[in-house]
Amino acid sequence: MDFAYILEALPDLMTGLKTTLIVSFLAIFLSCLIGLVGAVLRKSGIKPLQYAVTAYVEFIRGTPYLVQIFFIFYGLPSLGLRFSIFWSGVIALTAWASAFQIENFRAGLAAVGSGMHDASASLGLKRWQHSIFIILPLATRAALPSAMNTIVATVKNSAYLQAIGLVELTFVAVDRIAYDFRAIEMFASICVIYLICVFTISGLGYMVERRLSRPFGGR
Amino acid sequence: MLLLEFQSFLLDGLLNTLFLSSVMIAGGTFFAVIFAAGLSAQSGWLRRPVYALVECLRDIPLMVTVLMVYFVLPHAGLSFNPFWSSALSVSVWGGANGAHIIRAGLLSVPSGQREAALSSGLRGWKGLFLVIVPQAMPVILPPYVSLVTSLTQASSLGAVLGVNELLRSAQILIEQTTIARGGSPAYLVYGSILVVYFALCWSISALGAKLERHFAKPYQRTNGKTGLARPTVVLQISTT
Repeated sequence: MDFAYILEALPDLMTGLKTTLIVSFLAIFLSCLIGLVGAVLRKSGIKPLQYAVTAYVEFIRGTPYLVQIFFIFYGLPSLGLRFSIFWSGVIALTAWASAFQIENFRAGLAAVGSGMHDASASLGLKRWQHSIFIILPLATRAALPSAMNTIVATVKNSAYLQAIGLVELTFVAVDRIAYDFRAIEMFASICVIYLICVFTISGLGYMVERRLSRPFGGR
Repeated sequence: MLLLEFQSFLLDGLLNTLFLSSVMIAGGTFFAVIFAAGLSAQSGWLRRPVYALVECLRDIPLMVTVLMVYFVLPHAGLSFNPFWSSALSVSVWGGANGAHIIRAGLLSVPSGQREAALSSGLRGWKGLFLVIVPQAMPVILPPYVSLVTSLTQASSLGAVLGVNELLRSAQILIEQTTIARGGSPAYLVYGSILVVYFALCWSISALGAKLERHFAKPYQRTNGKTGLARPTVVLQISTT
């Protein structure tokens, strides 16, 4: 193990890490938003919309993520939709993560008991007040553990985007290996970096979970 | 039509995908059993390293594991061709995820069952396979089936190393026709193989559901009186 070499490669790796984090955060933000909307649509009672959301979730979960990326990056331009590598990556990662977030939030919504509805009706809350002040906080809390899992998986799956040439952490490492043949050093460093990212996000998620379960006498 | 014209070429890719994913499923199960045994070991000197290895495999992106096995193992004198390299890396990853599924399933069987098996003279392997495993199956199977579909999907990672499976065949077909005829048929070809993969995973899920029903049978013929209480453990499998 040549630590001097790792130190020399570190600025490059950090540039890659920056792209990894930017793409991941965009995808996490968008997928949580889409997940929430999708879960609400799935409960909306409008049959065609429900079927569409279910079909989307099943299709994304039933097909390889790598093929989805290739379809979005290479396939969509011939249909008239041309995106840069960066935005193709964001779209592919968002499309993948959204399917899982829809499922997570759907389970979260299902966990809120129907007694809440009667309770807020008896307190004279309007429908929108009920949805935003009662259901949303409770459903978010119930969905959080599995949503955190998907968020961590989103960061990990940003590594797949090296296949379309997005210059993120894994791409930088593989690119340097092609020139310098220092495979052990490069993979050791990116493994450590990914582990740090994953542990940090899991830790943050755990803190948020504890904060949110405070009103319920949680630890 | 392009797809029909090159159907034998794509069919070869599909066959390779089927073979590769079978190897990955078999290998994943093999490693899952080994890791699960390691995780349940009495001695901490065995359990802790296995736990650390399993956690690392679950937390490092699969793409990185696949590339790492391909690039790093030759430094240790172990050279595999792309097929076996991707098979090995995905199997180990599947094993790490499967180990937790198997362990949680075995733990969900009440300890009284183990004791009952012992008192009936079913010791060791016999007790495990005749008494514990059949009862653990309803807990193990649902997440395990979704792991198997994940492994099938992960076989497309072979394309990154250049294994000639379905995704790689599609890439080659697109490159060749773009050069030869102009105009990229990418959306058509990738769209079609998306459908093929979907059908494949859907069949696996259907088969899995059938198997689940088989193992759930003893719990179904209850009229609320005689049947066994069905063990419930909620498991979360990391999603890729």
